[in-house]
Amino acid sequence: MNQLATLYRSRQLIAALTARDLKARYRGSVLGFFWSLANPLLLLAVYTLVFTKFFPQQVVTPYPLFLFAGILPWTFFSAATLESTNAITSNAGLIKKVMFPAEALPLVVVLSHLVHFALAIPVLLGAIVIFVILGQTVLSPIILLVPVLMLVQTIFVAGVALTVSSASVLFRDLRDLVTNLMQLGFFVTPIIYLIDRIDSRLLRALLRVNPMTSFVIAYQDVLFFGRFPSVSDTFLMLAYAFASIVVGFTVFDRLRDTLAEAI
Amino acid sequence: MNAPEFAIHLDHVSKAYRLWGRRSQFATLKSALLKRDLKLAPEASIAALSDVSFAVHRGEAFGIVGRNGSGKSTLLKLISGILKPTSGAIAVNGRIAALIELGAGFHPEITGRENIYINGIMLGLSRRDIESRFDKIVDFSGIRDFIDQPVKTYSSGMYVRLGFAVAVHVDPDILLIDEVLSVGDEEFSQKCIAKIQEMKYRGVTLVFVTHQLGQVRDLCDRALWLDHGRVAAVGDPVRVVDEYLQVVAGHAQQPAAAVTTETQSAEEPAETKKDPLEEERWGSGEVLLTRVALTDDQGRDLVALGAGTPVTIALDVEVRAPQEDFVFGIGIYHADGSCVYGTNTDIEGLQAQRIAANGRAHFVMPSLDLVAGAYRVDAAIHTRNGRAFDYRRGVIRFVVGSRIHDIGVYRPKHTWRFEGGITFREVDTLKRDVPAEMAEYIRESEKD
Repeated sequence: MNQLATLYRSRQLIAALTARDLKARYRGSVLGFFWSLANPLLLLAVYTLVFTKFFPQQVVTPYPLFLFAGILPWTFFSAATLESTNAITSNAGLIKKVMFPAEALPLVVVLSHLVHFALAIPVLLGAIVIFVILGQTVLSPIILLVPVLMLVQTIFVAGVALTVSSASVLFRDLRDLVTNLMQLGFFVTPIIYLIDRIDSRLLRALLRVNPMTSFVIAYQDVLFFGRFPSVSDTFLMLAYAFASIVVGFTVFDRLRDTLAEAI
Repeated sequence: MNAPEFAIHLDHVSKAYRLWGRRSQFATLKSALLKRDLKLAPEASIAALSDVSFAVHRGEAFGIVGRNGSGKSTLLKLISGILKPTSGAIAVNGRIAALIELGAGFHPEITGRENIYINGIMLGLSRRDIESRFDKIVDFSGIRDFIDQPVKTYSSGMYVRLGFAVAVHVDPDILLIDEVLSVGDEEFSQKCIAKIQEMKYRGVTLVFVTHQLGQVRDLCDRALWLDHGRVAAVGDPVRVVDEYLQVVAGHAQQPAAAVTTETQSAEEPAETKKDPLEEERWGSGEVLLTRVALTDDQGRDLVALGAGTPVTIALDVEVRAPQEDFVFGIGIYHADGSCVYGTNTDIEGLQAQRIAANGRAHFVMPSLDLVAGAYRVDAAIHTRNGRAFDYRRGVIRFVVGSRIHDIGVYRPKHTWRFEGGITFREVDTLKRDVPAEMAEYIRESEKD
């Protein structure tokens, strides 16, 4: 509760730092903010090319839209988690020289990636409209649930980022470990395939252990299939988000006092 | 403990830094998992501060002096809350702003304008607060023309100007300043000091860490001398600074130990600034000043003296090649580097005849009327046109102590006399901080 109060007090700081992060990222590049739109489009183009031409596996149609629905939340999660391993160490000056609520740093990382995610949503909507015109899909009002999913996922990602950012100050190995886990994570999350197509029950159960599985499936339900997420996925998402944020704050709080010295 | 008249109160505060051995410097996740313990076992710890207790009153200017590594910066970081004490308690009343490093939060890729906002928010202002102060900040920094350029294009001087400008416009109750007043050019430095004096006048509590001891004497109401993490002295700034200088001078006079008094924080390389107290020596060496001593009229060596004592500077001369063109010179400097007095035998019309064998020259001052402070002496023997045989810069350093806090460098012999309807209360020499000779004058004048 204390930490939430601190965060509320530093809301302007978090907002200003997030804006700084976004501005600094595209300062000096010609296309600037358009990269936030171009990046997911290019990513989509690459995956569509690979999985329709090189390894054709038309699990569902339209496949590009299915890919898009899963890749966006996955990219939000993996990019924010990866970057938060550096969130505190790359701001050593702030931690050591300024009175600074250190938890703001991983949260700024999460928020700036959330902004990228949000900027990609119009691109996704454009793609949906195109496929509706092509008659390959239908537009469902359930799509309005996306902001709710994003909120729950942001809480989940924030918890992970808090844990990873503080722990990686003390355990430098964590950065490499997380990088490799993310490579694995992409394939053990049903992004490029449907979980139902997996024959082994055991494998399906194991995939469910991955928290991102529920999130990605829920996004696919809402964005691609136009149906409500299943009750079990909804329950799992809420549970993972809650557990993640509690663990995140606890770990961060335990390590907070050593951060300024250990950097 | 939390009495409201205290701005800052430290109660038996200690801070130990953990030293990580080479192998466990970056603890691995594996070792933590195997030991099933997230707490890393440090190989050793080093005490940065031991049992420090003191209080800073509201509205007071408080100076902290001491050598490098004595724990000054650690102390400020503890007060500001950046670090947590290992034991003891720290209480702070009021909003605190810490200038540990100017412009610490600047981001190079964004403009000065945007950085002012972010830096201000970091220091605890709201966006609206900054908007209302924005022009004042920019004017103070003096870099209006560059305010919309990315900070990465700034010179380090501009960087520091902007950092200081933001920090002093935060309007804190307590301002902690670590060694930042020495940055920037002379003009800006003056501006900073004027701003700090203004803040002091408005009742802001100031805590300084500085190596510019003159600033401590001029700006502070009280001072603390930190030695190896312990409080060596606390109280009147002139007394504390002099005690500190006396120890520094004592060390520096041992010939073998090249003790340099620090003029910068530990993070900076030691070569960046010349120490004004460090001895330097040069010359061609035909004639050498083998020993230069500051003695009283009985020939005893002096390190600390009271104002107005008779003093002699004795120069022992070793002649390696006889000379006919030679001049003895003496210069007395304040610790801040300003010249108090300089003379030589040539200026005073003494015409050199011959120096053929070893001897001793005496520079006799019946009364050395200096204000309390630290001083150094340069002694030299050189030719009339200034080529040095032996020039010893800072060969002696000494401290003048006093209980009256007059200012400047020169204390003329003086008395106060009053006529007409001006009266002063009876002076009790025990109660008032007046040296005996002053009290004598006062009493004399009151008899009239």
